[in-house]
Amino acid sequence: MTSEATSRAVSIDPGGKIHWLGRVRAAAVIVAMLVALVYFVPSLPTYYVRIIDMVLIYLLLATGLNMVVGYAGLLDLGFIAFYAIGAYSYALLASGQFDIHLPFGPILVVGGGLAGMAGVLLGIPVLRLRGDYLAIVTLGFGEIIRLLMNNLVSVTNGPQGISRIDQPFLFGFPLKTPRDFFFILLPIAIFAVTLAWRLECSILGLGWAAIREDQDAARGIGINTTLAKLLAFGLSATLGGFAGVIFAAFQRFVDPVSFSFWESLTIVLIIVIGGVGNLVGVVVGAAVLIVVPELLREYSEYRMLLYGCALVAIILVRPGGIVGRHHNPAWIMQKLGWR
Amino acid sequence: MTLRFVGLRKRFGSLIAIDGVDLVFEPGKITSIIGPNGAGKSTLINMCAGSYKVTSGRILFEDVELQRLKKHQIAGHGVARTYQNIRLFDGMTVQQNLEVCLFSSYLGRTFAEVFVPGVSQRFKNERAALCREALARFGLTRFAETLAADLSYGNQKLLEIARATLLNPKVLMLDEPAAGLNHGETDHLKETLRSLVRPDRVMIIVEHDMSFVMTLSDHIFVLHQGRLLFEGTPAEVQANFAVQEAYLGSPGDVDGIRVAARNRANRVRLRSNANIERRRPAPV
Repeated sequence: MTSEATSRAVSIDPGGKIHWLGRVRAAAVIVAMLVALVYFVPSLPTYYVRIIDMVLIYLLLATGLNMVVGYAGLLDLGFIAFYAIGAYSYALLASGQFDIHLPFGPILVVGGGLAGMAGVLLGIPVLRLRGDYLAIVTLGFGEIIRLLMNNLVSVTNGPQGISRIDQPFLFGFPLKTPRDFFFILLPIAIFAVTLAWRLECSILGLGWAAIREDQDAARGIGINTTLAKLLAFGLSATLGGFAGVIFAAFQRFVDPVSFSFWESLTIVLIIVIGGVGNLVGVVVGAAVLIVVPELLREYSEYRMLLYGCALVAIILVRPGGIVGRHHNPAWIMQKLGWR
Repeated sequence: MTLRFVGLRKRFGSLIAIDGVDLVFEPGKITSIIGPNGAGKSTLINMCAGSYKVTSGRILFEDVELQRLKKHQIAGHGVARTYQNIRLFDGMTVQQNLEVCLFSSYLGRTFAEVFVPGVSQRFKNERAALCREALARFGLTRFAETLAADLSYGNQKLLEIARATLLNPKVLMLDEPAAGLNHGETDHLKETLRSLVRPDRVMIIVEHDMSFVMTLSDHIFVLHQGRLLFEGTPAEVQANFAVQEAYLGSPGDVDGIRVAARNRANRVRLRSNANIERRRPAPV
C-alpha cells in the first residue's frame, strides 16, 4: 500500500482557505437529507419508527462508549450501568414511586450529570488498569449497578421495576408516540455525533489517540493521562445517561432486565462491527445491530443463530469493521465538497 | 541550569541497577553515558524521565526534585526523551505525532475548540505552523500525512527526536539514537544532534557506537555495574585502562571496543524491529 493510501483522510489545509461554494453545496445536501428524513420517517408505520428510535438510542450509547473504547482505547464492558443510572433517574424523579414529578428537561440534565459523575468515580479506581483487567473490572461495575437496581427494593422496586412513569413533556408538547420521540432523538443524536467528532478532532481527541497508541510515551510528552482518561469516562458516561433518561421516558417502564450484560455487549459490538474509533462506523453499526434482529424476527427460534452467523460473517469479511478507518466524517464532508 | 543526580540508587528486587551515582550535567554541552550492557545507562534515563521510581537519592533540576513528580509533570518541566526501542504513536500521522505534544497547552481551551465555530480551525493552524517548522528542520515535511508506522526506520528515529524537541526542552535525553542506523544515516544524525545544542539545554546521550560517542560528546560518563567508573573528555576516556577492561574483560585497544559496540548495535536493530511488529495496535 502506498503512503497516500494509508494516510488519514483528515488533512489540515495549510492555508486554511475556505471554499464557500463547496461548503454551501455540502450544507445544502445535508439539509436536504435531514428534511427528507424528517418528512419520510414519521410517515412510516409506528413499528418502523419505533425501530428507528431504538437505533438512535443505541447510536447515542455507542457514540458515548466509542469515546472510551475507540478514542482512548480502554475496553469498557460495563457501559450499560450509565444507561441504567440515566433511566432510573427519570423513573424515580418522574413517577409515582416517590411521588416526585419533575419535568423531562431538568431530569435529562440531572440524569446525564449523575451518570457523568458515576463515570468519573468508576474511572478513578480503574485508571491503572488496561486491556483485559480493565474489561473485567468494568464488567463487574455494570453488574453491580444492575444488582443494586434489582435488590434495592425500597428504592427501585426491585425486579418488578418501576411502572406508571410520567409522560414527558417538552416545551409544553407531550411526547407520546415513537413519532414524537423521533423528533427529540434525532437532534440529540446529531448533537452527540457532532460533539464526538469535534472532540475527536480537538487536542483532547489527539491526546486520547496518543494514550491508545502508547500510554507511557504519551505521559513522556507531557500528557496528563489521568485527566484525559477521566474526561473520556465522564463524557461517555454523560451521553449514556442522556440515552437512559430518554429510554425511560420512551418505554415509561424500567426494570433491571433492560440493563443486563447482553446490552453492554451489544453496544461494544456496534462499535466493533461498525469500525472501532470511527463515528461513521458507529452509525452504521447501530443501524445494522438493531435492524438485523428485527428483520430476522419472522424466523423465530433461529433468529439468534442467524444473528450470530451474520456477525461472524461480517467480521470474517471485514475484520476492521464494516466501515474502513479512513472513511470518517471528514472524508464524507470532503466528498460532499466541504473544503 | 545544571541537572544533578545526587546519591541516586535503583533496586529491582534483589538486583541493584544503580548503586549511588552522583552526576552533574552541564547545559550547552553534549554529555554521553557509556558502559557495557547492564551498566544502568537506560535505567538512569528512565528514572530521570519518571518512567522508573527512584529507590533513593535525588534528581535536581532548577531547584525542583524531579523524582517527586509524575511523569507528565517532569515533561512539563522541560525534560524530553527518546526511547531505546522507538516508541511513536504508530496509528497516527507524522504531523499528529508532533501536534499531540501541544496537549497540555491547548487542553484548557478544548471547550472553545469544540463549541465555538472557527476556533477549531484557528487552533489547528497555529499548531500546524509549529509542526511544519519541526518537520522542515528534520526533513520530514513530505511525510506529514503518512502514518508513523509506515516511515522508514531512520525517519522514525528522526521523528522521535523531532517529537522530543518540539517544545524546546531544557533537558534532552536520547537513548541510543544511532542504534541500527547505517553510516550515512549516522553522519546525518550527528549533524542533527549538533544543531540541537543550545546554551541553556542539557543534552544527554546514551550510546554504544563508540566512534559516534567519541566524535560527538563534550563530556563522557562511563558506567559499570551501576557505579560511575570514569568521567572525562573523549580523549581521556579512550586513554583510560579501566574503561577498556570494563568493556572487553581485559585491556585492549579502542578498535576492540568499537567492534564490540558495533555487534551490539546490530542486535538492537533486530530487537527494535521485533518490537514494532508486536506493538501494532490490535482491534480492541
